[in-house]
Amino acid sequence: MLSENDITFLVAAQSLELAARDLYANAISRKTKSDEEQGLLTLLHSHHSAYEQTLNGVLSKRAALKRNDEAYTRFFALLSNADNFWTTLLELENTAIATHTAIIAKLESAKHASLLASITTVQARHAAMLATRISTNLDLALENTAQSLVAP
Amino acid sequence: MSYPNQPNQPNQLSRRELLRLSGLSLASGIVLAACGKQSGVIDDGAIARLGEAPSTTALAEAEVTDAVLLRTAASLEYNAIDTYTAALGLGVFKGDLAGATEIAKRFRDDHQAHADAVNGLVKALGGKEHRCANVRINDLYLTPALALITDDKNPNVGVDVIALAHALENLAAQTYQGVVELISDPKLRADAIRIGQQESRHAALLAQVLNPGIAAMGPTNDPTTGKPNIAAIPAAYGSQANIQLIVGAPKPDGTRTTLLLETPSLNSLVYDSVSC
Repeated sequence: MLSENDITFLVAAQSLELAARDLYANAISRKTKSDEEQGLLTLLHSHHSAYEQTLNGVLSKRAALKRNDEAYTRFFALLSNADNFWTTLLELENTAIATHTAIIAKLESAKHASLLASITTVQARHAAMLATRISTNLDLALENTAQSLVAP
Repeated sequence: MSYPNQPNQPNQLSRRELLRLSGLSLASGIVLAACGKQSGVIDDGAIARLGEAPSTTALAEAEVTDAVLLRTAASLEYNAIDTYTAALGLGVFKGDLAGATEIAKRFRDDHQAHADAVNGLVKALGGKEHRCANVRINDLYLTPALALITDDKNPNVGVDVIALAHALENLAAQTYQGVVELISDPKLRADAIRIGQQESRHAALLAQVLNPGIAAMGPTNDPTTGKPNIAAIPAAYGSQANIQLIVGAPKPDGTRTTLLLETPSLNSLVYDSVSC
C-alpha cells in the first residue's frame, strides 16, 4: 500500500516519463538522423515508454493523467533547434536522473525507491551514449549538472 | 493360544506403551540437559571421552546495517582502484587501445572520489571508514581473472583488461542499485544510487570501447553463437543478474574461460568487525 507521500512523488516521476516518451516520439518523427541514430532514438523511446507504463501499473487508479507539460514545452522548444538536438536529449536524460534521484530521497517505500534506482542506472547509460554523439569529453558523459524538477 | 501384545502378558510392551515410554525418555533427557548447569552439576570427568574438544570462539555480532552496506560499497571502490592501477601498470593500452589510458586514469580517480564520499557517509552514521579492497571479491573474481588475463599465452591482454574493468563497473553499479532496497534511510538511498549512476556511465563507455558504434549501443546478439554481445545499454532496467566475464587464452576447442561475478552477499559484506 503506497502512502500519500509516495503517490505524490511517483506521479511526478511518471508524468516526467510521459513527457520524455512524447519528446522522443517527436524526435523520431523528424527523421533527420541516420538509420543507426534513429535506431538509438527508438530504443530510448521504448525505455521511457516502459518506465511510464511500469509506474502506471504501480500507481494503478492514482496514476498520472497527463505528462509534465512544463518539461515537455521546455525541451520541445530546445529540440526545434537542430544544432541542439543531442544536447537537448542529454539534458532531458540528466534531468530525469536528477529528478528521480531526488524522489528516491523522499520515498518511504524502499521497494519503489529500488524501482527508480533501477531506472536511473539505465538512464545514466542513455546519457553517457548521448554525450558521445556530441563530444569525446569525458566530463560531458560522466557528470550530471542538471537540476531536479522536484525540490531536493 | 496367546498373543504377544495382549494385555494379560505383563512382560511385553504394546506398541502404544513403547511410543509413550520413548517420548518420556526424550523429554527427560531434554529437561536434564537444560537444567544440568543451573543445578550445579559439575563435570568430574567420570564419563570417559577420547581427545580434547577444541575451545570455540564466538563469532562477532554481524548485523547488516546501513553502515555495513556502505562499507561494503567502499570496499568495492578499492577493488576498482586497485584493478585500474594494475591495468595501467601492465602497459597494455597501446595502438587502438591508447585512448584507454586516459579513461582508466579518470575512472580510477572517480572511484577514489566515490570511496571518499561513501566513507564520509559511513562516518556520519558513526561507523568506521573502510579503506581497502573487498578480500572475497578479490579472491573469487579479480585475482583469478588477472591470472587468466596475464597468462603468457593470452593474445588479448589489453582487450581483456578492459573487459574486466567493464565487468567490475557493472558489479559496482549493481551493488549500489541493490543496496537501495536494503538501506533504511531514504536520503542515503539517493546518495548511494547517485554513485551507482556514475558507475553505470563508466560501464556504458567501456562497453563502447569493447563493442563500438551506434548500432552496438543497444542489445545485439553474436550471429554465430547467438549469445548477447557487450552493449552500452543492454536493457531497460538495471540488472541484478550475475555478470559474465570471458577472458584468457583460447582453449584447444577455441573457447575461453567464463567467470561469473555476483554482487557482495552476506558472506562478503564488510561488517563492523572487518578491518583492513
